[in-house]
Order: sequence, then structure tokens, then C-alpha cells
Amino acid sequence: MADMADRILHRFNFAERIVHWVVGVTFVLLLATGLAFAYPALFWLTALLGGGPSARVLHPWVGVLFGIGMGFMIAIWIRDMFLSDVDWRWLRAMRAYATRDSANVPPAGKYNAGQKMFFWFQGLLAVVFVVSGVPLWFPEFFGSGLLQWMRLAHYLATLGGGLLLIVHVYLGTIAYPGTARAMIDGTVTARWARHHHPGWHEEQTRP
Amino acid sequence: MADTLSIRRVSATPDAYIPISALRSAGPSYAKLVDIGACIGCKGCEVACKEWNDLGVEPTANFGSYQSHKDLSPKTWLLMRFNEVEVDGNLNWLIKKDACLHCEDPGCLFACPAPGAIVQYTNGIVDFNQENCIGCQYCVTGCPFDIPRFDVHTRKVSKCNMCVDRVEAGLEPACVKTCPTNAISWGSKDDMLALADQKVETLNARGYDNAAVYNPAGVGGTHMMYVVPHGDRLADYSLPSDPTASPTPMTALGFLKRIGAYLMGFGVLGVVGHFLRYGPERLEEHEDHEPRGDTGAAA
Ligand code: HEM
Ligand code: SF4
Ligand code: SF4
Repeated sequence: MADMADRILHRFNFAERIVHWVVGVTFVLLLATGLAFAYPALFWLTALLGGGPSARVLHPWVGVLFGIGMGFMIAIWIRDMFLSDVDWRWLRAMRAYATRDSANVPPAGKYNAGQKMFFWFQGLLAVVFVVSGVPLWFPEFFGSGLLQWMRLAHYLATLGGGLLLIVHVYLGTIAYPGTARAMIDGTVTARWARHHHPGWHEEQTRP
Repeated sequence: MADTLSIRRVSATPDAYIPISALRSAGPSYAKLVDIGACIGCKGCEVACKEWNDLGVEPTANFGSYQSHKDLSPKTWLLMRFNEVEVDGNLNWLIKKDACLHCEDPGCLFACPAPGAIVQYTNGIVDFNQENCIGCQYCVTGCPFDIPRFDVHTRKVSKCNMCVDRVEAGLEPACVKTCPTNAISWGSKDDMLALADQKVETLNARGYDNAAVYNPAGVGGTHMMYVVPHGDRLADYSLPSDPTASPTPMTALGFLKRIGAYLMGFGVLGVVGHFLRYGPERLEEHEDHEPRGDTGAAA
């Protein structure tokens, strides 16, 4: 059994990892500089993009990369992200999932329902970011009233994206050892898959 | 006069962080009073502003108005607007000295994310410090009077600074000094308010029943005030009748940012707490367990 459990399964191909990290790196830069513009106490974070004035110039361009990355991410993953019946049961068992009560967590496929919801929320937020970000990039073409509402929308998206990211990074790294490698060299162990994504594990190991 | 440049507010800087200068006793609060009825439209003030602030000439063309330029610009901080309006069957020039009003509650400063890019002195002057400006133009969005102008080349904004360098030295602003009809007065805010009331009375006596002082409460009053002969026609002067320094979305944003800071802080604490409670999920411990749930049901 042990050698079975240590078998390596391929989870994400090279293209998927590139897309994920373009989105990941650009989003973290955007979050840091965006929070710098929102909170004077964090203004020093503009240093990540070369200081205040240059952060103001680069933030929208990094946003363009993020938008393109999100476009690809949605295109390549959307097929796998629709919720199945098991997923709805999974969502209702979220408490068991959070408290590591594995026995009561319905079995997930390639992605569990939490990951799928994360995908949909990030997709929605990306749209809000882009739609509200463009006027803020070129304020000379828009009225003050509209721009003020766009600042509000942009901030709300930041808050949502920030909160989601905290959980996403936690679960993808220290909470579940063996997960981060899925996004680094693209592989996971069969044991990891059997525990976290039994449905997918079965598909992958079916003779 | 030494304390005229005590600081009252600094953009993106909590009041508590403003150093000693703010602890000094507040100096006099100044105001400029523009008596639109006494203005003959000579534009001497525009020239004086250009000269003192070394703003240079901006070529213009005739566009069917007595006005010199169409709009304010990074190099034109003062523009006499000539609105041609019919009042009681007669053509009137409703002139507006368009420049920063130096609001008591400056919407530009409240909107600015860059520490120190906008400063309000205790004397009432609101000044931009270009070296701290990041060029986001939020101040343009925050100003209810559409005053700050963005320079696409330097990526900085600028506007009238009330000749802060002259005021600091005990002089009146250049436009005040140059006006040949004394349509622009300069003094303490209290004196100017008293003078404004006097001027309104005079106008009333001359039949301008709607003459009014423009010192809008929505921005806490201003340090450039107008005496408007036709106080019932503010829109014709291009003066907003109800300007505000804290429009609804900005108030909501301020509130949400506070809540958001807590949420994000608790979010981080939450995952740290979860980690301390549950630790990393080690799969070896599940070695003897069956995989969870009924895998066959996984879609
Ligand atoms: C920089 C911090 C980030 C880290 C460390 C990280 C890590 C990971 C890991 C390890 C996975 C694989 C999960 C699995 O195999 O099931 C993953 C998947 C994913 N990541 Fe990230 N990621 C980061 C940022 C982002 C950002 C900013 C976004 C989107 C805005 C994002 C979107 C996704 C999505 C949609 C998936 C697939 C579904 C899921 O696993 O939730 N990631 N990430
Ligand atoms: S008029 Fe506009 S630029 Fe001048 S102080 Fe008021 S808000 Fe700021
Ligand atoms: S453009 Fe400059 S002064 Fe205006 S809000 Fe942005 S940083 Fe502040």
C-alpha cells in the first residue's frame, strides 16, 4: 500500500502553472500597492513598484497582466468548476471540512466545492477590478461622481480578494502539506489525492 | 507673522502624526473676498498670477468669448470666466474668478492618498506639494469645484496656492495687489465676512435684492469668498449651490476601509489561530483510514 500511496500523480501542466503564477504574482503586487493607496500606514508598500509615483503608473499595467491572466485562467479551468451534487453537499459540510472531521466531508473531485467557489468569486472580482479600474486609470474622461463610486467598488473588490487570498494561501501552503508542489512542479502524491480529492484520485488511478 | 505656516492638516496623515508645528497656537485665518459686482473684467489678476508664480504664457485663440482661455490648466491657476446671461431682458456678464477656494474642509486633501502631497495651513491656505504627489488625480475627483489640474508630462497636479510665499512674508496675494478696482480684498476671515455683509447691504440698496455671500457650508466655508450680485443664479456663475467635502461614496469608503482593516486583520489572525489549533494536516496519520466518503459518488 505504501508504494501505491507514494505514487506521483500529475495535477497541473506547465501552462496551468504559468497562468496561475502570472495571476498570483500580479495579484499580490496589486493588492500590496492597492492597499498602500488605501491606507496611509501602508504607503511604504508602494516601494514594491518603485515608490509612490511609479507605483501609480505601474499598478494599472500590472492590472492589465492580471486581467489577461484571469482571462486565461477562466478559459482553461471553467469546465472543471461547475458544482456537482456532491459539491452542494460538501458546501453544507463546510464545518466538518474546517474542523478536519474528514469522515463527514463528502468526497471531492479534482476540485472541492470551496476551491470552485474561490474560482467563481475571483472571476467575479476580476471583472469588478477591471471595470472600476479603467476609469480610475484615465480619470480625465470620467465625472467625479462616477469616479468616487468606482473607488468604492475597487476597494470592495480589494477587500474581498484580500480575504479570499488569505484563506487560499493558507490552505495551499502550511495547512495542507503536499499541496503547494501541485503548483510548483505540477505533481502530488497519490496519498494526497486520495485524501483531498478522492473522486479525482479514483479517475487517475483507475487501471 | 512667523506662525502663519503652522500646519492644520496633511493629506493621508492622521492628525496625531502632524509634528509640533500644529501644537503652536493657530495663527490668523486669512480670506480673500472677491466682489464680483466691482469687477470690470480687465484680467489684471490673471496676469499678476502668471507673473508672480512664473507660470508662463499659454497661447489661446478667439472662441467667441471675452474670456482669455477656455479652461484652467496646470499653468493657468486663475481664469476669469465670462458667462453671458440674460437677466431681466439685459445681457449680463456673470463673471467668476475661477481658482481654488481654499476650503476649510478641503475635499482634495481628504481624497489624497499620498502623505504630505496636500497641506492645509492654519491660516486657511491649501497647498499642493508636488514632490510628494503620486499623480493619481484623486484630488481632482474630491474637489467639488473642479480646480486641480493634472500635467500629463510631469504627472503632478497644481492649482492656486494663494501666493503662500507672499502671505508667509506678510504680503497679500498678487491678484489682490494688482486689482485696479479693489474688487479683491484680503484680510482676516472675520474682517472679510464683515466686509462681505457690508457689500451685500450696499448691493441690496442698489436694487440687487438677491445679492449674497458665497461661503458654502458644505465645505466648512472657504478662504476665497465671493460677493455675488445675483445670488439666485449661482449656476449661471458656474458656482455649485451645494458643494460638499464628503460626498456619499467617499463617506462610505472611509467607513468600509475601517471595517475592512479589521476584517483583514482578523482574517490573518483567523488562519493563524486555525493553524495553531489544527496544525498541518499530516496524511501519514490517515494512513490506516479508508479514503473519506464514498469515492464512487464523486462526479
Ligand atoms: C501568492 C499566493 C498564492 C499561492 C501560494 C497559491 C497556491 C495555490 C496552490 C498550491 C494551488 C493548488 C491547489 C490544488 O492543488 O488543489 C492553487 C490553485 C488555485 N489558485 Fe492559487 N495561489 C496563490 C495566489 C492565487 C491568486 C491571487 C489567485 C486568483 C486571483 C489564485 C487562484 C487559484 C485558483 C482559481 C486555483 C484552483 C482552485 C483552487 O485550488 O482553489 N491563486 N493556488
Ligand atoms: S477648491 Fe478644490 S482644490 Fe481648492 S481647497 Fe477646495 S477642494 Fe481643494
Ligand atoms: S494627484 Fe497628487 S495631490 Fe492629487 S490626490 Fe493624487 S497624490 Fe494627492
